[in-house]
Amino acid sequence: MKRFVGRQVVQLAIVIVGISILSFSILHVIGDPVVLFVQEGAPKEEHERFRKLLGLDQPVYVQYWRFASRAVQGDFGKSWYGDMPVLDLVMERMPPTIYLTFAGLAVALLIAFPLGTLAALRRHTIVDTFCTMVAVGGQAMPIFWLGIMLIIIFAVQLRLLPASGYGTWQHFLMPAFTLGAFLAPITMRLVRSGLIDVMSTEYIKTARAKGLGERMVVAKHAFRNACIPVITVLGLQFGQLLGGAVVTETVFAWPGVATLTVEAIRNQDFPVVQCAVVLLALIIVTVNFIVDLVVGLIDPRVRVGA
Amino acid sequence: MSQRTVFAVLSIALVFLFAAGAGAQTRDETIVYAITSDVDTWDPPNSVQRTAIIFGYQVFNHLAERDLKTMKVGPALAVSWKALDDTTWEVKLRQGVKFHDGSPFTARDVKATFDRVLDPTKKMTARGNHAKVKLVEVVDDHTVRFRTDGPYPLFVERLTAQVMQSEKVMKDKGHDWMQEHPVGTGPYKLVKWTRKQEHLLVRNDDYWGPKPALKYVRIRIIPDVATQIAELVSGGVDIIKAVAPDQMDVIDKSGQARTSSSPILRTAFFQIDQAGRTGKSPFQDKRVRQAANLALDADGIIKHVLNGLGDRVATAVNPMAFGFDPSVKPYKQDLAKAKQLLAAAGYPNGFDFRIRTTIGTVEPGVAQTNEALIADLGKAGLRAQQSFIGESVPYISQVKEGKAGPMFNWSWGYYSIFDADAILYDVFTCGQVYSYYCNKQLDDLVHAGRSILDEKKRAEIYVKAQRLLFDDAAYLFKWGLRGVWGISNRLEYEGPRDEIDRMYLVKPRKS
Amino acid sequence: MATLEATHAGSMPEPTGLQSVRRRLWRLKWGVAAGVVLALIVASAVLAPSIAGHDPLRVNIRHRLVPPAWMSGGDAAHLLGTDQVGRDLLSRILYGGRVSLVVGIAAVSISSTIGVLLGLAAGYFGRRTDWAIMTAVNIMLTFPFVLLALSVIAVMGPSLRNMILVIGVAGWPIYCRVVRAQTLAIREREFVLAGLALGMSHARIVFRQILPNVISPIVVIATLQIAQVIILESFLSFLGLGIQPPTPAWGNMLGEGRIYMLNSWWIATFPGLAIFLTTLVINLMGNALRDWLDPHMKL
Repeated sequence: MKRFVGRQVVQLAIVIVGISILSFSILHVIGDPVVLFVQEGAPKEEHERFRKLLGLDQPVYVQYWRFASRAVQGDFGKSWYGDMPVLDLVMERMPPTIYLTFAGLAVALLIAFPLGTLAALRRHTIVDTFCTMVAVGGQAMPIFWLGIMLIIIFAVQLRLLPASGYGTWQHFLMPAFTLGAFLAPITMRLVRSGLIDVMSTEYIKTARAKGLGERMVVAKHAFRNACIPVITVLGLQFGQLLGGAVVTETVFAWPGVATLTVEAIRNQDFPVVQCAVVLLALIIVTVNFIVDLVVGLIDPRVRVGA
Repeated sequence: MSQRTVFAVLSIALVFLFAAGAGAQTRDETIVYAITSDVDTWDPPNSVQRTAIIFGYQVFNHLAERDLKTMKVGPALAVSWKALDDTTWEVKLRQGVKFHDGSPFTARDVKATFDRVLDPTKKMTARGNHAKVKLVEVVDDHTVRFRTDGPYPLFVERLTAQVMQSEKVMKDKGHDWMQEHPVGTGPYKLVKWTRKQEHLLVRNDDYWGPKPALKYVRIRIIPDVATQIAELVSGGVDIIKAVAPDQMDVIDKSGQARTSSSPILRTAFFQIDQAGRTGKSPFQDKRVRQAANLALDADGIIKHVLNGLGDRVATAVNPMAFGFDPSVKPYKQDLAKAKQLLAAAGYPNGFDFRIRTTIGTVEPGVAQTNEALIADLGKAGLRAQQSFIGESVPYISQVKEGKAGPMFNWSWGYYSIFDADAILYDVFTCGQVYSYYCNKQLDDLVHAGRSILDEKKRAEIYVKAQRLLFDDAAYLFKWGLRGVWGISNRLEYEGPRDEIDRMYLVKPRKS
Repeated sequence: MATLEATHAGSMPEPTGLQSVRRRLWRLKWGVAAGVVLALIVASAVLAPSIAGHDPLRVNIRHRLVPPAWMSGGDAAHLLGTDQVGRDLLSRILYGGRVSLVVGIAAVSISSTIGVLLGLAAGYFGRRTDWAIMTAVNIMLTFPFVLLALSVIAVMGPSLRNMILVIGVAGWPIYCRVVRAQTLAIREREFVLAGLALGMSHARIVFRQILPNVISPIVVIATLQIAQVIILESFLSFLGLGIQPPTPAWGNMLGEGRIYMLNSWWIATFPGLAIFLTTLVINLMGNALRDWLDPHMKL
């Protein structure tokens, strides 16, 4: 166990460093951030002045070293626009995204578990087909399209919910559903296949033989094991979830870290992008690490493959 | 998953759902204004964003401000100004004005403001606006003198671009504090800023000028334009800007809001690489550039694609700018003559070339008009392959680095200076980063125009410059833009021509 | 990171007689129906030049935003109406299908090739190779796709080729993980060990003995990924990074048309339906394929 954890931590560190180098070099090739600083009509000398002030006149590896040596001490620098410490900026926007992600996850589970179970228990019937259709249909819908449709129906036509924004529980409903619909199909699929697998194992057959009711068998024994693939894959999907969050946050004017990151990429605010990318990577890697740990504890077989 | 876990997940979700918070201000007293992206700072001279200029107008004042009816620059924190000689301006300040923190506004604040902005060791973006100012001197508490580097005809125009900040705050609180805490002399005060979400402003009851009609302003950040419109027609938001011409009917038919359009100080055109910055091209031949101009049915596009929201111009000089010459008549579509000119230039069958395009909120309907313009060029044999770049930084980089030829779509906002020089110098003279045109005759005219203060002589110079640009078909000339605002029916407001929304001019509508 | 795919490697069911084939086909009736629909969609895209009534790029600013033919104000010449610059929507959808399907197939070919090769290498050679490749996988899975897409498109320009490249290069980790897990399991089986003992070359073992055994999950994933890529293309268009105008692709038509949802709904709705229908049938077919090849596959 100790070796397993140790190796994972080393990998985690390498992944984070790799990501920071990758994003650093990518930012430098996208374009020249100075173009946004120099106002229209400003004299040409302003270009050089800003390049110096932002440290862009140094070679790229020097710039990276400067960033990295401070970052390990928790100092990610200040935003180029507005001079705010970027760590504060990113941490301030983190909670809305995390809430949204959890709410989306909750919606996905609420849809996926009943449908997935139903499909697994009534395999190859019309019920199964229907559940599969719902899942596949959800997956076939571009997420921003769903978001806009919800706004048109519930905010513009019915006037039941606020079209966008953040703050009250009403604001949560449409974004959470949008993100949930994005996640539900794959979750449902995993629940279904996981349950089908488990239901045919000796272990369940034994439980049945002991005379437990079908409902008890499913609830007590099958679910726990069917959860393993669900947890693993959801962990892996966490990164993708952020992609979904970008769209959801944009459509619903949700003040989260995903839009902050995309906006910073567009404005080439290097310190903000670096900080956000590293922190998000840290979260994703940690989530997966915990998932592995949990799954490893439940099912020792998988540790071999790590 | 055990039931307990399910409950845990559910209850966490519910806690988040009910973590609510609502403002104390009532809807009737509040204007909700939507913008697409948040400012990064409440210190306007330290910002790169146009939005920061708008924000500055709500909370700060400038020495001079533009009257939206007459479009003339008039007094604000300055009551009068005059040029003592070619390089010295004297400005008299308003008395009895107080900052939000209660301290009085004096000449020392003006000097401190300019000294801070002009300091080359500081990362202030506004420095470029005032590079011609050499020195600011305090004469007495309410008189300031500006020394400039050579004659500076745009001095007064430039005063409208600089908010006045407090010397005391600069000294006591410092730069970092000022980024989040604006202390101005303006009609509203900042109450609360939730980054990337919203700003809440409250009326400054000690304001020296006419007091705003509505007590609160909420500025909401809504990135997607489709969502902004949905908010406006469902009553969540009161004022939105940069509405696409195609969306006007949605707003007008909603019963909840209406649109208001106004000409704005921005002209759109396709720049042509006459100077050969990107390399040789057929467009360096004057006849080819004339043919391109003759191929366009700009009037038809304005009418059918822009719902009439454009003002055809003969060159790139905007009708609202000082020096505009209405006697030059724009090119009219004449495909036969265009083909004839192309043949004379050695291209009887036309030719293929690349045109770079981008989108941006600043030019309404640009994606649609670009497609229509390119189709028109094709009719004369100028077959353009569109190379679309969606991101502004790479696009601007390419333009500035001289890689965007032989043709690209561009528009110019005159950095809000209502003067022909604000486009001619930057976009048409040799060697400027945004200029793809180089002509010694024009250079001489532009340089003459910016080295004298006499308005009449300057106007004559600009008339000559416009004739020259028209005859030489410097670029592919399009139109002056009109901005479209969406405004809630409960409010009285009109879209401003300088694109700077002033919330203190909004009034409740009498029903 | 742990992998679970290993548990059911290579359990291919053997069909027994015509009877069971027919029964299994019946079970997969939805998949078969989906296949027929997909064939029709592909055919319409391939045949677009001969069945589309209009040039998809022809702009007519005097006929903008014409509603579908059955609505009032509709024009029989434009069955699904016209878009924001007066181009025929039906023709654009037919041509757009070509672009979207090409992007889907090409991007999936790239990512599956990279993924399979790296997965085989990681699983077969193990140790350092495995570690290096899995680290790369983890970096890819954690790196924001938007940043990658933005940089490639900003630097290399937003062409069809670069779009395929971005999606193709970003998509390989999923194949790599699956193939690696399968390879790990197969590597220890008798026939591979026997091959090694007989002195077969690594290349021969990997490509002749292992690859055939991992091909069926790859086919299933690849099919499902085509649908994902089509959706991804619309996501990139939403961010303004999609295929450049005026080239029609379903994703950019949907992205550009979304602001018209409140007045000219057809501009975004029909491309949206095209995406929906296509990804739906691809997914149904993928599911059927999975059930056919290996009902225990966890995808």
